[in-house]
Amino acid sequence: MYDAVIIGGGISGLMASLWLATKGRRVAVVSKGDPMCCLSTGCIDVLGHTDSPLKDMKKLPSSHPYRMIGQDAVEESLIFFKEIMETVGLNYTGDPSRNTEILTPIGTTKTTCFVPTTMQVSFDLEEEYIHVISFKGLKDFYPSYIISRKKNASFSIFDMDVYNTMGLAHAFEEKAFLGRFIRMIRDLEVPNAKIAIPAVLGLRSPGRITEEIRMETERDIFEIPTLPPSIPGLRLFRGLKKAFFEKGGHIYWGKEIASIEKSGNKIEAITLAGEGKPTRVHGKAFLLATGSFISGGLYATRESKAYETVFDLPVYMPDKRHKWFNDDFFKTGHPIERAGIQATESLRPKDSEYENLFVSGSILAFSEIMKYQCGHGLGISTGVTAAKHMDGYLK
Amino acid sequence: MIKTDVIIIGGGATGCGIARDLALRGIPHYLVEKGDFAAGATGACHGLLHSGARYAVTDPEAAEECITENMILRKIASKCVEQTGGLFVRLPGDSKRYRDRFLKCCDDVGIPTEVLSPTRALELVENLNPTIEEAIMVPDCSIDPFRLCMLNALSSRHRGGGVLTHHRVTQILKEKGTCVGVRAEDTFTGQKKEIRARLIVNATGAWADRVASMAGSSVPMTLAKGSLIVSNHRLTNMVINRLRPPSDGDIIVPNEAVCLAGTTSINVKDPENISVEHHEVDLITTEIEHMVPKFGSTRMIRAYCGVRPLLKADIGDSRAISRGFRIIDHENGMLSIVGGKLSTYRLMAEKMCDLICDRFGKKATCTTAEVPLDGQDELTGYPLSKRLKKMDEIVCECELVTRQNIENVINRIGPRHLEDIQHRTRLGMGPCQGGYCTYRALGIMQEGGRISSEESIDILKSFLQRRFKGIKPTLWGDQLREEQLIESIYVGILNLGSFRRWRR
Repeated sequence: MYDAVIIGGGISGLMASLWLATKGRRVAVVSKGDPMCCLSTGCIDVLGHTDSPLKDMKKLPSSHPYRMIGQDAVEESLIFFKEIMETVGLNYTGDPSRNTEILTPIGTTKTTCFVPTTMQVSFDLEEEYIHVISFKGLKDFYPSYIISRKKNASFSIFDMDVYNTMGLAHAFEEKAFLGRFIRMIRDLEVPNAKIAIPAVLGLRSPGRITEEIRMETERDIFEIPTLPPSIPGLRLFRGLKKAFFEKGGHIYWGKEIASIEKSGNKIEAITLAGEGKPTRVHGKAFLLATGSFISGGLYATRESKAYETVFDLPVYMPDKRHKWFNDDFFKTGHPIERAGIQATESLRPKDSEYENLFVSGSILAFSEIMKYQCGHGLGISTGVTAAKHMDGYLK
Repeated sequence: MIKTDVIIIGGGATGCGIARDLALRGIPHYLVEKGDFAAGATGACHGLLHSGARYAVTDPEAAEECITENMILRKIASKCVEQTGGLFVRLPGDSKRYRDRFLKCCDDVGIPTEVLSPTRALELVENLNPTIEEAIMVPDCSIDPFRLCMLNALSSRHRGGGVLTHHRVTQILKEKGTCVGVRAEDTFTGQKKEIRARLIVNATGAWADRVASMAGSSVPMTLAKGSLIVSNHRLTNMVINRLRPPSDGDIIVPNEAVCLAGTTSINVKDPENISVEHHEVDLITTEIEHMVPKFGSTRMIRAYCGVRPLLKADIGDSRAISRGFRIIDHENGMLSIVGGKLSTYRLMAEKMCDLICDRFGKKATCTTAEVPLDGQDELTGYPLSKRLKKMDEIVCECELVTRQNIENVINRIGPRHLEDIQHRTRLGMGPCQGGYCTYRALGIMQEGGRISSEESIDILKSFLQRRFKGIKPTLWGDQLREEQLIESIYVGILNLGSFRRWRR
């Protein structure tokens, strides 16, 4: 019997689990597969469409989950996240009161809030001379995108006999490979250039590896996030999992939910599909953190309806199918982004028959994640806040 | 200035077919196309090589042309044609009298038919609705319109013909009331060319009236938009038609790894600003589901539409207008060819070239029905094993296009247009519709120095917008989910939505 069963192994579910585990609760996470955060830059967007995320939170519509949980709860959750990541050696820099910019592989800049220290750019991106390193064989990294857009930049392509991001990330964990790379950087004839590298500097210990390269070469070096599959996204996910395991958490991985058991107005247990005897996961409180359409928490039909895929909760769906998306791909704020589960102040699904069910993350209605660029920030803060409400309920 | 005998405007099947025919008859010519080959109706159709059965009842003459051309194209363009065969299925409630008439009319014009029991039909196409009354097998085929155009143009090039794609005709030059040439502009560089000729052929399909008006003439036409949707799977290996008078959503055609289902028919005024409406997608889906029930639950990857350039007629329903073609002599040195369909493009070219020979007083007979298209020997298809040899080099995972394939096209024809690569390699034609590989292809083009980064980002953005237009009507279920992932990459990770230029 678990105190809390968390459905969804993404950033929101794992942060909720971590908070509850820290409080000494017995927690199980049930997940269908690798979450969306594996595909992300690993950076934490809190409110990317503004310069001051915390201050401007009050300008959001009152239905937005940030407004529901409040600015203080958001800030506390983000600090908790940062502390947790430090325990597993994934250090982040940043301050929720002001945003920062990182360089993208296409040479644009992206506004975000918490940045892995390996990606941190502590100088004027536009003014400084940047030398981009790429590796032979990388399909999704073309230095020419950055070089020809920037007035002062150059690039080198290193052939390290490893031809994909994952292979490179593993190789950087080896001393000999790292040593070889450091020598190649030292041999570069680009005085005073800052060095930009696609984000492949290790999977387990990127901070240590980046620091070693910085020390040994006496250069400013920073990583540029790549397109999925993204190593920084994977580091984030693995870091969260590792922290959870260290706190004694249990994860049911790669499992689909076959059935729900309820008694009165409570969920008693969920049964997981699989080979052999089905697994029954029994809990006192449950959290639905299965994500939106993209993660499979919601499913939209041609008939303009949407389903919540685990409990069949009522879903708020804006308008008919032909109005779900704007005509302009780049005009953020497609109406469908408002779809989701409407929640009460204690992050329980509205109009739900279950008193021990809570909800967090991008499945929440009115999140509008692309419009406000608030994905991971929303996942973390609603996850942690839902965990607090669950803890209160369990008392 | 370039001097030639005939200028052909339009690089669709008709224009390319005329170029090849003139080449075989030894008449110097130049083809000018504003986009890539097959950019209009040719490339936006369902890729069906008609057996003629669809027209047997309503338009026997067109049906007869179709079956004759069908048999010819199987021989001369074998690498463009997939001999799938086709079925006309009769569902419960569909008229039996129409079926009898259909069989008789097919017989009258020489279209071979075979009546199949439901069991036999289901053996051939397992996804067919098991409640069908019967199916009639006809020699329908699937045809690759782009490849067809390219090989026709190649046959012309091999014999000294000039072919200019991505060149827009900006002016038709006239002297003493007679057309003597054109001015064309490179759509990429803006560079202008003047071409002079004895005769101009207007083979621009839905654009025929616009082009004719540049020479002070007109071509009365009805423009009928037809919409289609593309399914993620090849649900059938045969063409499936509904056995009833022509109507919306009555055909599904297998094409490479996908199926194309359509169509609709809506009259439009402007061939450029057309898009697929959501209700058309619903209509097609519902109708196709009757014949192939699995269709409704299959992921759709795109919707697209083309404009049928039909001869003007005072008939409300554009489907009732003859699909026959006509050559209009504007009596000013310009000949327009309108109507017709992809399946009869060769015949249309033959008639046009007969007329041109007549004008020039040249005796040269048409050999296009006997001589195979050039360049087919080199088309080995792309054997999977060959393509998988260097897995790390694969740029487009859906269609298994390698970096080498892309570099070959860049080196051979030096394209500065994304479409050129897409059409010649099938890059971006698969389920992700270029969502991942376009960024890569543009990266490779930059490395080759073909385009600058500023250009490539503009091209990428306009590609993504165009792509979204096609995908938007199919956004529900799994496709919606995939699309949000693409959005999270380009708008989220790459921040292209609020992309600003660096100070330089």
